[in-house]
Amino acid sequence: MIRSELRKKIALQGGAVIIVGAVFVFFWNDLRKTAVVHIQTSSTSRISGILPSLISDLNLILPISLLAVLSGVVCAFYLEEWCPATSWIRGFIGSQVNFLTEIPSLLYGLLAIMVLFSDPGVLKEIGALSPAQNVNESGVEVALFERNTLVFYAETLIFILMAMPIAIKTTQEALRSVATPIRESTYVLGATQWQVLTKQVVPLAFPKILAGGCRSMSRALAAAALLIGIHIPSHTPGPRGIPDRFVLFLGGALLLSTISSFLTVESGTHK
Amino acid sequence: MNSNSQNGSQTTPIIEVTDLKVHYGNTPALNGVSFDVYQNEILGIIGPAQSGKTTLLKVINRTLEFTPDTTVAGSVKLDGEDISTIGDVYGLRRRIGMVQPLPVGLPLSIYDNVAFAPRTAGIRAKSELDEIVERCLQQAALWEEVKDRLNTLGTKLSGGQQQRLTIARALSHQPDILCLDEFSIAVDPVTTMRIEEVLKTLRTEMTILLVTNLVQQAKRLANRTAFFLNGDLIEIDTTDIIFSENPSEQATYDYVNGTFG
Repeated sequence: MIRSELRKKIALQGGAVIIVGAVFVFFWNDLRKTAVVHIQTSSTSRISGILPSLISDLNLILPISLLAVLSGVVCAFYLEEWCPATSWIRGFIGSQVNFLTEIPSLLYGLLAIMVLFSDPGVLKEIGALSPAQNVNESGVEVALFERNTLVFYAETLIFILMAMPIAIKTTQEALRSVATPIRESTYVLGATQWQVLTKQVVPLAFPKILAGGCRSMSRALAAAALLIGIHIPSHTPGPRGIPDRFVLFLGGALLLSTISSFLTVESGTHK
Repeated sequence: MNSNSQNGSQTTPIIEVTDLKVHYGNTPALNGVSFDVYQNEILGIIGPAQSGKTTLLKVINRTLEFTPDTTVAGSVKLDGEDISTIGDVYGLRRRIGMVQPLPVGLPLSIYDNVAFAPRTAGIRAKSELDEIVERCLQQAALWEEVKDRLNTLGTKLSGGQQQRLTIARALSHQPDILCLDEFSIAVDPVTTMRIEEVLKTLRTEMTILLVTNLVQQAKRLANRTAFFLNGDLIEIDTTDIIFSENPSEQATYDYVNGTFG
């Protein structure tokens, strides 16, 4: 009975994923053409189309997001499970997290551009900004994985500022969603705190934690769209074409929201 | 007020409660309660709501610690050892089986629900677990109904079945003391009678603290009965005396005869 319910849900959600995928496949050639039209200076196929953008953006986003989301999750676990309820740390981080999650993500992108990447910005001042090597009018092949270390750290900072508060908040909510009676009746059976966490709380909260991770990432993408789309292309590897980049964010955000909705499908059961 | 229990052999107290005071914030829940619980007896605990019955059970297995802003004074000794200084609180909780008023099915299969406590205690052998699960489910009068679907979710059972599942779970770690907190709220009368029969046989193996709203249940099962009112222990005596025409306190007589208030 439970299996069949689960199967139905997986079918529905899987259908959504397939539709998103189909849209991509269907418009793939159009996307490529659009991209190529806009990168008029590019004479090599290696830096036109959707794939170089994809690789370059994943290269930027994946390591940073793992860092931001993981540290957020760890922080939330500490706050919810170990930090004493009366501790000032809890109040302090809680209020900061609430503040940071309420800021529209657009502002983070603007802030980053203004403070870090603009002409009188920090990175310019310390001479970290140099034109990207890959946009090459003579068609020389470029290394997509090359990166400017300081720019990378700056981006990491913004991503962590963006993604971590949401990861903390959603993880806290996921942990709180595990009902107190379930915890207490597990303790009553003589389980240690670690056993309660690993055997009951985490299995129950895991889909929600994962969904929260996706949500924080898709929000960070929104800010990053501004950064990558408008300013970073001149300093990081990857094609310059702005529509090219935005198409990716559209796809990325769709994919993340689909995964997130899939994970938030009633997750009251495991096993 | 206190008296020796019915059987002369039950003279060693397994639980000694001395001047126990509990406050939730500034609200008192127990005001200096003292009594003993003897080995292999069923102690019925009766009293209206807000009289501190559940709090008492929570102090004994130290789950009151999860409620913030509580203060506990006085001492509770288990086999002569003060429970507040016991280092291995998980071992303490394993010695005490607890059944809560409303069933909490862990979101696991029926089998895993019952096998949870033995597994946390380190039992891994399948045959041993099978044996424990069958024994406990039989003791909780649930085995016949679920023996063909041990792998379905425990939370999918009906309310009464889930309550019996929690009883099976409480028995699964072979506790010395079984605390039943109004276990019959969610169970139908026929099943309640079946569980009561089981409790009578379990008395030879463990000590049972039976908190109940049904005074007749205490009369049927308990060797001794304690009457709590507003955080005070009004009277504790053998069940025969409590339910007789002349208990030492008038309030006890009024409560058990339904003329209270």
